[in-house]
Amino acid sequence: MMTSVRGRGLVGRFWFLLTMLTTVLSVMLLVSVVSVMVAKGGAVLTWEFFSQPSRSFGAEGGIRSQIMGTLILAVGAGLISLPIALGTALYQSEYLSLRFQSVVMRLIYALNGVPTILFGLFGYLVFGLYFGLGISWLSGVLILAMMILPTLVVSIREAIESIPVQYREAGLALGMTIPQLIRTVIIPYSFHGIVTGLLLGLARATGETAAILFTATTFFGVDLPKSFNEPVTTLQTHILVLSQEAVHLSATSAVWGSALTLMVLVFCFSSGALVIRSRFGVKV
Amino acid sequence: MDCPSDTVFILEDVNLFFGSVPILTDVNITIRQRSITSIIGPSGSGKSTLLRTLNRLNDHYPTFRCTGLVSYCGNSIYDNRNGSVDVSRLRQDIGMVFQKPCLFPTSIYENVLFGVKRLKLRPKSEFYEIAETMLRAVFLWDEVKDRLKHSANELSQGQQQRLSLARALACEPKVLLLDEPTASLDPKSSEAIESLILKLGTRLTVIFVTHHLEQAKQLSETVIFLSDGCVCEWGGVDAIFSCPDKIMTQQYLAGHAS
Ligand SMILES: Nc1ncnc2c1ncn2[C@@H]1O[C@H](COP(=O)(O)OP(=O)(O)O)[C@@H](O)[C@H]1O
Ligand SMILES: [Mg+2]
Repeated sequence: MMTSVRGRGLVGRFWFLLTMLTTVLSVMLLVSVVSVMVAKGGAVLTWEFFSQPSRSFGAEGGIRSQIMGTLILAVGAGLISLPIALGTALYQSEYLSLRFQSVVMRLIYALNGVPTILFGLFGYLVFGLYFGLGISWLSGVLILAMMILPTLVVSIREAIESIPVQYREAGLALGMTIPQLIRTVIIPYSFHGIVTGLLLGLARATGETAAILFTATTFFGVDLPKSFNEPVTTLQTHILVLSQEAVHLSATSAVWGSALTLMVLVFCFSSGALVIRSRFGVKV
Repeated sequence: MDCPSDTVFILEDVNLFFGSVPILTDVNITIRQRSITSIIGPSGSGKSTLLRTLNRLNDHYPTFRCTGLVSYCGNSIYDNRNGSVDVSRLRQDIGMVFQKPCLFPTSIYENVLFGVKRLKLRPKSEFYEIAETMLRAVFLWDEVKDRLKHSANELSQGQQQRLSLARALACEPKVLLLDEPTASLDPKSSEAIESLILKLGTRLTVIFVTHHLEQAKQLSETVIFLSDGCVCEWGGVDAIFSCPDKIMTQQYLAGHAS
């Protein structure tokens, strides 16, 4: 039955083949990126590589500071963005009229489309220069927090919208005010969306390079920041700089090792989001 | 709110709309204190809309509109002009149970006390006692007393509905609204709910929607029959069921008699 439908006639067969080929192409692309990274970087991934700071400009030692830096920026951004996103989503769904809701959502989507380098530029001017934070991890955290805000808002909004109206009504019928309803019904029932949004935001922030390159990071010479206005070094910067300047063979393999590590981090966040979304997303 | 008179609800020239679509027009009814009233009528005739008008639960639909006078214990509840109506206070006075039991994702114990705790109606020391009293009142205590801390979702549909009722009763309402409370239940659970309605009717004002005519006949004192966008006929249960005035009522009752 299925075969006869998709294979009917020359045109049908053509489309079947065309779409299949494009699918194969995309899958192969992904497989080759992953396998190159595993092949080139897999060998250097030892406990020492993760636990030691880098030495000799990346040619020796490990990537401990880089991993820490990437995580500090991403997690910091998530922590700052989360309450703001939650407030935005709740204000929209509980207080705003339908017309203004769609205006705000359009703004949020527009924000999502802003090239990340512009967030970097804005952050550099505002946080770095105007507030005097300079090139620091805090600037980076604030910039990334702005950047992932739309992702979080959209995810939380979707979850709030998917709460069955009966739950809202059960709360209202008990005489709850909107703040009580938010605390006891809306947040618990959209919790999966909040976590999903946070993880997607973390994945985005973990992979981001442009916006933090000249605002929050440095290539070498720092481990953990000791004050608010110190920069960090990250996996992203490490990969970028080493891949351009490395002459040593060992530095090249450190690039691949860093890349693989970064990919695994991003993958963990986004697959965590997927798992939570598919497990709690539809049914409630 | 204490009702000064014998009448709890007065509806005068009430029209209900969603957007520009009139759902019910020219509604004129009164509901006595400590009585049981049923609302019947074909599906889509506005039974739920009318019921939910009484505790302003339609408010959260942006297109809902209500004109005319709806008064609860002498206060006009849609009139926000002089000293706005405290809707949340109103809904504490008027408990509601829906067709599909809708419990919160916590334990049985927490669900019974959901309203009481959130609204801070009673001191903490009384919580356990309230839970026991309410669960006994809905004949659920013996079935759940050993697993109060278990998730409410473990319960059967019928038990869940009784728990919803207990949750509403725990807030000590003066009026109880039920929207087809037995429609999704098995016969035995339905019976439990029915005998509860009868029992509660002696101290509360109970108003329920049903599509089950036998239920309306056996439980209620007053029947409101909705059809074609208006209250077709309303009055004492015997009058409506034995000698309805309107042809439409006769036809509906005859069609559902089997
Ligand atoms: N939120 C809503 N928005 C628009 N129309 C609605 C809404 N709720 C109900 N209606 C309409 O109002 C009419 C009466 O519905 P309802 O009161 O639920 O009927 P019943 O409970 O008697 O089956 C129906 O035609 C329905 O389509
Ligand atoms: Mg209905």
